[in-house]
Amino acid sequence: MLAVNLLSPNPGLAIWMTLTFLLLLFILRRFAWGTITSALREREERIDESIKSADRALAEAKEIQADNMKARREADQQAQAILREAREASEKIRSEEIDKTREAVQRMQEEARAEIEREKQGALAALRAEVADLAIGAAGRILDENMDGDRQRKLVDSFIQDLGTN
Amino acid sequence: MVLIACVAVLPLTALAGASPFAAAGDDEELDAVHHIADGYYLDFSPIPKIELPRIFLIRDSAGKLKLDFFGSTKRAVASGRYDVIFEDAAHSAAAEDHADDEASHDDGDHSDETVEQDDGHAEDDHAEDGQAAAGAGGHNSPLDGKLVPKDGELVIDFSITRHLVFVWIVAALMIWLFVGLARRYRRGVGRETAPRGMLQNSMEALITYVRDEIARPNIGAKADRYVPFLLTLWFFILFANLIGLLPLSVTSTANITITGVLAIFTFVVVQMSGTKDYWGHIFWPPGIPIFVKPILVPIEFLGIFIKPFVLAVRLFANMTAGHLVLLSLLGLGFTLKSVYGTGGGYAGASAGVLFALFIYLIEVLVAFLQAYIFVMLSALYIGAALEEHDHHHGDDHAHDEIPQIA
Repeated sequence: MLAVNLLSPNPGLAIWMTLTFLLLLFILRRFAWGTITSALREREERIDESIKSADRALAEAKEIQADNMKARREADQQAQAILREAREASEKIRSEEIDKTREAVQRMQEEARAEIEREKQGALAALRAEVADLAIGAAGRILDENMDGDRQRKLVDSFIQDLGTN
Repeated sequence: MVLIACVAVLPLTALAGASPFAAAGDDEELDAVHHIADGYYLDFSPIPKIELPRIFLIRDSAGKLKLDFFGSTKRAVASGRYDVIFEDAAHSAAAEDHADDEASHDDGDHSDETVEQDDGHAEDDHAEDGQAAAGAGGHNSPLDGKLVPKDGELVIDFSITRHLVFVWIVAALMIWLFVGLARRYRRGVGRETAPRGMLQNSMEALITYVRDEIARPNIGAKADRYVPFLLTLWFFILFANLIGLLPLSVTSTANITITGVLAIFTFVVVQMSGTKDYWGHIFWPPGIPIFVKPILVPIEFLGIFIKPFVLAVRLFANMTAGHLVLLSLLGLGFTLKSVYGTGGGYAGASAGVLFALFIYLIEVLVAFLQAYIFVMLSALYIGAALEEHDHHHGDDHAHDEIPQIA
């Protein structure tokens, strides 16, 4: 009898069980599973999203770092170029200055030399005129009235001219 | 009310220090089948048996339907309106005597034939008559018989059985656990932050397992609609199986009616989600010669019912068999004692307990495994019913075949 009891279905129990399970299904569906599964889904999405955004942020940071490096390198190069330019410019200015000074000095020397020459020519001319006058005076005294004044002068002048070219 | 009574009783059993085998050893033989079968009482030995309410829907001689309610089997018998029927006649006679005994013992108290039986009264009765009820625990007691009305016929016996009580315990546990868990999620623990604590983490692991490993791969795109059903099924079976492994408790899934109802739920869900393709494959399987169809269609049609039937039997048989083996091994000591004396008893008991421990561990595995198989196959059937075939039938039928797991 007992073995039969194990295998024989009990309709009353089946109805109780059906009601119980329906109620359980309803209560858990209404008050538990919905909240739990939606919370899990929400959390999963958030985790997914944060992993993705972290990846994005990392990529961005790397990009920014690369940009920074590049900018620094460029700035370095620029600074180097500027420095070089400045050095070149200063070099140029200095050499120009030297050239200019040298030129000025030269010019001044030349001017001085020309002045000296001019002075010398003036002095020579004056000297010649004086020497001619002196010579004429001396020769006139020597020759007395034998020669008039103009002939004597021409003579002396041509003599001095010869003198000057020698 | 029964539930509260059980909960109140549980700590008492823990406090009672007496050996649980004392009662069994003295005047009762250890009957494994009897322990597993359903019954109309709760047996937390060594405390006395607690009889459960009896509810009968009867059609009396006048042809009128009537609901009869009694606080216990004893009261139903004492009302004089019910006969106790045993399958074999020898028991029957003894039971008649016993019933008379009970009636004289509880004299006068039995005017309660109406539905308005008060509960407090019923419990007093248990307390007073505890000893008598324990005495009535033998196989001749009306608790082991079938009650039929003297006047009219029994339509349905709605009596509360102990398996039903444990179904209610499992249901209450699930509601308490998961509604509480849902409140936690609503507060934001596990929604905005990581889940906290062993309970939430372990339950979450099981929930996501059912969703990600059972529902989604087998059902496909519409899986999430079925997840609440599968979760309820999974946790109900799992908790019923596991609670059944606790001392003094009862495995409600070791009952063909209970597992049958669970399988019927799966059956209904599967048929309700059946697509045109699903029915087409059953009643006019495509890609098959016409003369084979008359053979195949009945087989396919029967398959609709065989699948849930097998589900029910598999779970029931596994849970029943495991507990039968456990009890048989524990009974080894008693059997060997009666054959070889005390020495044999000790030897049998120590061997039996060791084997029983081994089987017990396997039973824990089986509790999870059977819950998994039931839910897994339910998901598979739902998935097969939902499948939209794109009509190339070469390898389609390869995965139409449902793997049969013992």
